[in-house]
Amino acid sequence: MNEEIRALQAAMERDGYVAERSIATAVYLAKELSKPLLVEGDAGVGKTELAKVISRVLETELIRLQCYEGLDANTALYEWNYQRQLLRLRIAEREVHDPKALEELIFGREYLLERPLLRAITRSAGAPVLLIDELDRADDGFEAFLLEVLSDFQVTVPELGTIKAEHTPYVVLTSNRTREIGDALRRRCLYLYIEHPSLDKEVRILRGRVPGLDEHFARTIARFVQALRLRELRKLPGVAESIDWARALVRLHLDRLDEESVRVTLGCLLKDEQDLKETDEQVVAELLTRAAAN
Amino acid sequence: MREHGIRVSLSDEIDAAAALPLVDLFDRSEVRTGLRIALKVPHEAWAMFDRLFDEYWGGAPEVPIPPASNPTERRGALQWRWDGTRVRLEAQSEQPSGGDVPGYSPEQLLRRKPFDRISEKELKNIERLLTRLARRLATRRSRRLVPTSSRGLVDLRRSFRSALGSHGEMLRLARRARALEEPRVVLLFDTSGSMDPHTRFHLAFAFALRRAIRRVEVFAFNTTLTRVSRDIAPGRILRSLEELAASVPDWSGGTRIGQCLAQFVSAYPHLVGRDTTVVIVSDGLDLGDTALLAGAMRALHERARRLIWLNPLLGDVRYEPTAAGMRAALPYVDHLAPGHDLESLERLARLMN
Repeated sequence: MNEEIRALQAAMERDGYVAERSIATAVYLAKELSKPLLVEGDAGVGKTELAKVISRVLETELIRLQCYEGLDANTALYEWNYQRQLLRLRIAEREVHDPKALEELIFGREYLLERPLLRAITRSAGAPVLLIDELDRADDGFEAFLLEVLSDFQVTVPELGTIKAEHTPYVVLTSNRTREIGDALRRRCLYLYIEHPSLDKEVRILRGRVPGLDEHFARTIARFVQALRLRELRKLPGVAESIDWARALVRLHLDRLDEESVRVTLGCLLKDEQDLKETDEQVVAELLTRAAAN
Repeated sequence: MREHGIRVSLSDEIDAAAALPLVDLFDRSEVRTGLRIALKVPHEAWAMFDRLFDEYWGGAPEVPIPPASNPTERRGALQWRWDGTRVRLEAQSEQPSGGDVPGYSPEQLLRRKPFDRISEKELKNIERLLTRLARRLATRRSRRLVPTSSRGLVDLRRSFRSALGSHGEMLRLARRARALEEPRVVLLFDTSGSMDPHTRFHLAFAFALRRAIRRVEVFAFNTTLTRVSRDIAPGRILRSLEELAASVPDWSGGTRIGQCLAQFVSAYPHLVGRDTTVVIVSDGLDLGDTALLAGAMRALHERARRLIWLNPLLGDVRYEPTAAGMRAALPYVDHLAPGHDLESLERLARLMN
């Protein structure tokens, strides 16, 4: 095993992110090859968290762009501060008469509102981690625009000229696969798929993230969640949910799983009405037996 | 990998070559992971990738890899013939019977297909009419804002720009409105024996969709689900018909709608989104599990923008949707329409506008 990958894995784990080797390898390769990392996987497996931990391990800023339907280049890149520009224009009109000078005055950097992409490019104190979250929610037009930004790491503001990145940011893109990410963008990235964690990994994550949780109870919780994931559910609980659940149980001073404690806290794990209905007493009892086994 | 259907481009190969020196080459699993990441192997293809990896670099127990099937060879018993005015599907030779479940027997395959009553010219006419229809079925407004000369939200950036010409007086406000979006359509059509008389309309519809809209996916289903989008390419109708019947297993056999739809939901989640209109063409006569069907329908209903079920049997006034499959699916269908002829499809389009 490559020493640097091992070190990265250890550093991530120290920071509370239990990463399999495949995850550490992907992060290492993305960093070394200066390529964006496209991360896919079910909701709650820790895709966003991965970007956060990278920024902590590399001791740099995390800049996040949350995608949504209708997100356009303006919102992602930059916007002019029109109110200030108008105000400045009014004041300047009295003394400046040369239109060119006027234009230069109001289209200066100080009237530019930097949005995440531009901020990631212009950051001067080292390369930041740029997280482009839930890319599948944005329209594919935005994807094409992103392709351009991610290939050259430069942005052209018509009034200012071209701004080039001082440091190439570490880019992490996440997708929940509600829409297929275009081939062109996919090809430009390295690809990581995060699966639901194994039992041991989940126990370690719970132990790392939930203070006051002992090994035995963590294992019981993890076994319960793992058994639950094998059921036909519409929204599988991710690690995020099992952490929430473990926290809730600890908070309620419950130190063992029984039908009552599961019943009152099941909402932490299952966030779909139908799933909740179908996980009735009988199912819970069955899951409890499996959680208690061995 | 390409031979086994995993798409790998030259740039992926370059990435793989760049990644290999960075990993520990004596560590088998690290090489495997590194290659998987650099070659961007999608999750669905991991199993195949692992097998190819093991076979290529030896070591692991050999698992024979089935060769990529050549669909045209599989259906040797059927032949398409062009007799000058129409396409005919004809049996070339006897084929031994494969099973004794009536709905699934290969003899069903040998029945004449209804395309043989449709001429090229007719197909063209129908296509033209359907093209208009298809466009209307699927258009919608995006949330993205684009400049407009009529009503809309004020676009400050452009307003300010134009105000500069008049010393900062905003004499005219530029506006933005929601863009007209390019729609997505997924068409799933039933090719079971009971649907035979109607197949020509479905196919014409599929071709029309392809012409009207760029992003169309077409699936045929009976006892299995087959993605046939590539066979329904515009401008190659003759070849398409031929390839289609050849590449869809169990054409004119029985149906397991539930199983096929469930397979569609789990294998192609990325094809259905908020901008997708899903059209299912089937009579709802299901041989499979209706609970499975209901589950798949619900998932589709939640994800898609609109779910349309075209049931040719509805054209018959005496028909009530009482088939178990149809009943299970009904609660999740946005529009249930006959779709056995052009007129019924036009009625559907009117209903939606």
